[in-house]
Amino acid sequence: MTSYAWAQGRLRGIDLSWPTFALLTLVLSVLVLLPLFWLVYYSFRNDAGGGATLDNFIALVADPTLLRAYGLAIGMALGVGALACVIATPMAWLVSRTDLPGRRIIRVLVTASFVTPPFLGAIAYEIIAAPNSGIVNILYRKLFGLDSSQYLVNIYTFTGLIFAIACFTFPYVFTLVANALDKVPSDLEDASAILGGKSMTTLRKVTIPLVLPAMLAGTLIAILQALTMFGSPAILALPAGFHVITTKIWSLFQFPPRLGLAAAAALPLLVITVILLRAQKSILGRKGYTVLGGKSGTPRVTQLGPWKWLAVAFVVTVLCLTVFFPYAAILKTAFTGTVGDAISFDTLTLRHWKFVLFEFSATQLALRNTFLLGFMTATVVTAIALVVSYLVIRRSVSGSGFLGVLATAPVAIPGIVLGVGLFLSYANPTFQLYGTIWILLIAFMTIELPAGYQQMSSAFSGVHPELEEAGRIMGASRLRTLWDITAPLLRTSVVAAWCFVFVGTIRELSATILLTTANTKLVSVIIYDLNESGDLGAICVLGIILLAASFAVVFIANRVPVLGGSQMNARG
Amino acid sequence: MSFLELDGLTKSYGSQTVVKGVNLSVDKGKLVCLLGPSGCGKTTTLRLVAGFVPANAGEIRVGGQTMSSAQSTVPPEGRNMSMIFQSYALWPHMTVFQNVAYGLKLRNLPQAEIASRARTILAATRLLPLESRYPGELSGGQQQRVSLARALVIKPEILLLDEPLSNLDANLREEMRFEIRRLHDEFRYTTVYVTHDQVEAMTTADIIVVMNDGRIEQAGSPEDIYERPETEFVARFIGGTNILTGTRGDGDVVVHEGGLVLRCGSGSVASSGNTAVSIRHHDIQLSPTRPAGADTNVAAGTVTRQIYLGSHRDYLVLLTGGETVRTVAPVNVAIPVGQQVWLQFPPESCRALAQ
Repeated sequence: MTSYAWAQGRLRGIDLSWPTFALLTLVLSVLVLLPLFWLVYYSFRNDAGGGATLDNFIALVADPTLLRAYGLAIGMALGVGALACVIATPMAWLVSRTDLPGRRIIRVLVTASFVTPPFLGAIAYEIIAAPNSGIVNILYRKLFGLDSSQYLVNIYTFTGLIFAIACFTFPYVFTLVANALDKVPSDLEDASAILGGKSMTTLRKVTIPLVLPAMLAGTLIAILQALTMFGSPAILALPAGFHVITTKIWSLFQFPPRLGLAAAAALPLLVITVILLRAQKSILGRKGYTVLGGKSGTPRVTQLGPWKWLAVAFVVTVLCLTVFFPYAAILKTAFTGTVGDAISFDTLTLRHWKFVLFEFSATQLALRNTFLLGFMTATVVTAIALVVSYLVIRRSVSGSGFLGVLATAPVAIPGIVLGVGLFLSYANPTFQLYGTIWILLIAFMTIELPAGYQQMSSAFSGVHPELEEAGRIMGASRLRTLWDITAPLLRTSVVAAWCFVFVGTIRELSATILLTTANTKLVSVIIYDLNESGDLGAICVLGIILLAASFAVVFIANRVPVLGGSQMNARG
Repeated sequence: MSFLELDGLTKSYGSQTVVKGVNLSVDKGKLVCLLGPSGCGKTTTLRLVAGFVPANAGEIRVGGQTMSSAQSTVPPEGRNMSMIFQSYALWPHMTVFQNVAYGLKLRNLPQAEIASRARTILAATRLLPLESRYPGELSGGQQQRVSLARALVIKPEILLLDEPLSNLDANLREEMRFEIRRLHDEFRYTTVYVTHDQVEAMTTADIIVVMNDGRIEQAGSPEDIYERPETEFVARFIGGTNILTGTRGDGDVVVHEGGLVLRCGSGSVASSGNTAVSIRHHDIQLSPTRPAGADTNVAAGTVTRQIYLGSHRDYLVLLTGGETVRTVAPVNVAIPVGQQVWLQFPPESCRALAQ
């Protein structure tokens, strides 16, 4: 029988699962565990003489500037969380559950403020609300004929910092709450109404408790973002004359560096992050609280009636503060001579573009580095995430779950903490990676791994294992099945994950700031440097380039058919 | 020697053994149904045959060649089998034609032969007009037929079906049952079919294998399984039955509590201990008066429920011994609830199942 010859003629094929598994475990362990190990090691080591010591922790507790930095950071984060929650929750309700006009556009615009790198947002607010040069204050003085010491608003304050950060973190709360509200089935609310609940009572007793977990979870994420952020505080708090913990850790790297103390100061931040993430997970993970399944019907829509215009005013104000004004300020500054210039044909200039693109020596190198690193990080991370999620989801090797844990772990490592850990790991004579772009590649890979892994593993769970089994039983080897069946089905997700990682990489600042040198400058770092020299026009040009590159990548990925843009519409 | 042989096949996941020493022989060209409740090990047995999971003990042989043993497993792609999945598993990025032609492409056949063989099978499954559609554009029944065509086109040694009809609605399911049988009669592939639906098994199978708790309870033709069940489980699982348990009396009879003596036309009575007697609902005769001349196989009872079902009436009767028996009677036998009735259990319909 010919079929037997066929069956026997096949090689059994060497199973590559185990070697792959071992290699990936090694790579991920190096990426994730090594920096943490050195972080802990250095925190117990004396900078000068070596040897084990608790001095660093004693210094941490004894040093009032460090304690103050922690206190301010926590205060700032809580303030941001509260403000974000207060802005986002009513807005989410208006967008999800009322007859507010333009609800879809509002959602898109909020997502746009997601895309803004927070440090760019902080710079936009410098342009708008710095006490001397801020546009608002210039207009205020002009309008009332006041002298130059007067100002209306000052962004270089603790409250100004909270405001500027909240503007770009409220989308975390908004998205979670709006999604939760979309999912609360109307029958639960109808049940309350039938039992005699008035619509305000229903809102208070049924709807709000149901979305409370989403609200809390979103607020925790906003708090976490604010707490671990470096860019905005560095831009706004330092001129205001105070440190938060991230900027304080950074300052410990300035000459003379105090590495042990920096390591010790970074550890509590790591612990707080882990605690906050666990809290967030346990809030969202309580199944009984979330509403799942069932025929939910369309959510009930509240008629706003005479309140409509108040609601519109509220939403427009929020959008102006978080999207329109910052972007307008950046655009204006990029095309006019100085921040204070009025907009007219006389003041329009391409001076900053010329400076950035042709005169300023550092930019070209930085642009090249940034896009090269973005490209490499996105490619490597997507590849690793693809293989890891295959091993984890298909459970082809026992113990593969551990790989998933490793790939997710960096979520809990704030950028600045990772920066310290990587500096300690690789800036020593053995590796000598400090000053090369490789240390940045390692940093970006570690930071972006969880996002890439999450995207790929959810894509893999979307591909029914029977689709692969069907390929095997029809006569295709494991690799052939992966190539012919799994790969085409995952193509769109792979492209999406690649874009996601790329966009995330080119705007990273927290870890980068500790790991760059003059030869490995990136656009985000140049922006930060230029801010110190007050060259806002050039910053805005770079910011626009960064944003344009992000949008271009996403756009190309969605349009080019080879990348899975348009021909996958016939999915079953 | 049979074509497909399972010999002491065993599979465990951790401490849980889901297939416990299954022995089964299937002759070439036969369609065998693995039938049983969910969790009985039938799907795992099928996946063992396909080579998706390695066996812990025992062997699977096809045409005398070992495919799976505790030591080694031929991978699925080396077995020349094909399979129809519960989810159909049609590749959404390939058209109907591409789905069907894929297995032929893997065998490196010339283009012309691929096209002609694919078109032949598409014609046999009445899919030719749909060959350039994507699976997402087909109805459930059409997807099912594509899945059949894709499995048949490679001329497999063995065809495996895993609950192939469970995602279809009732009408379509009935149609597809006959379709599967028709295609089997046409192509005569050795087929293993997993289902939990006994009507499906009766319609399609040459041999039904009833599985329970990782073991085979009974294997035989549909008539064997229905008329001559060997265990209480099989009797209950196929077709619905009444089980009356008793001990051996004088001369091969079973004495049920309450003094009911049952003479059994078939089966075996345990010499000591309990014997279960199985009698199908429709074999019991129900009458308002005591039947004349009978002293065994007759019991009195009270009607506790009576339902009019158009073609017949469905009765629940509480025997004086305390047992409830279900029976059916013609529509004109209408006895109200609460009234006394007599039940006659014809010996030729009583099957003794020694335990």
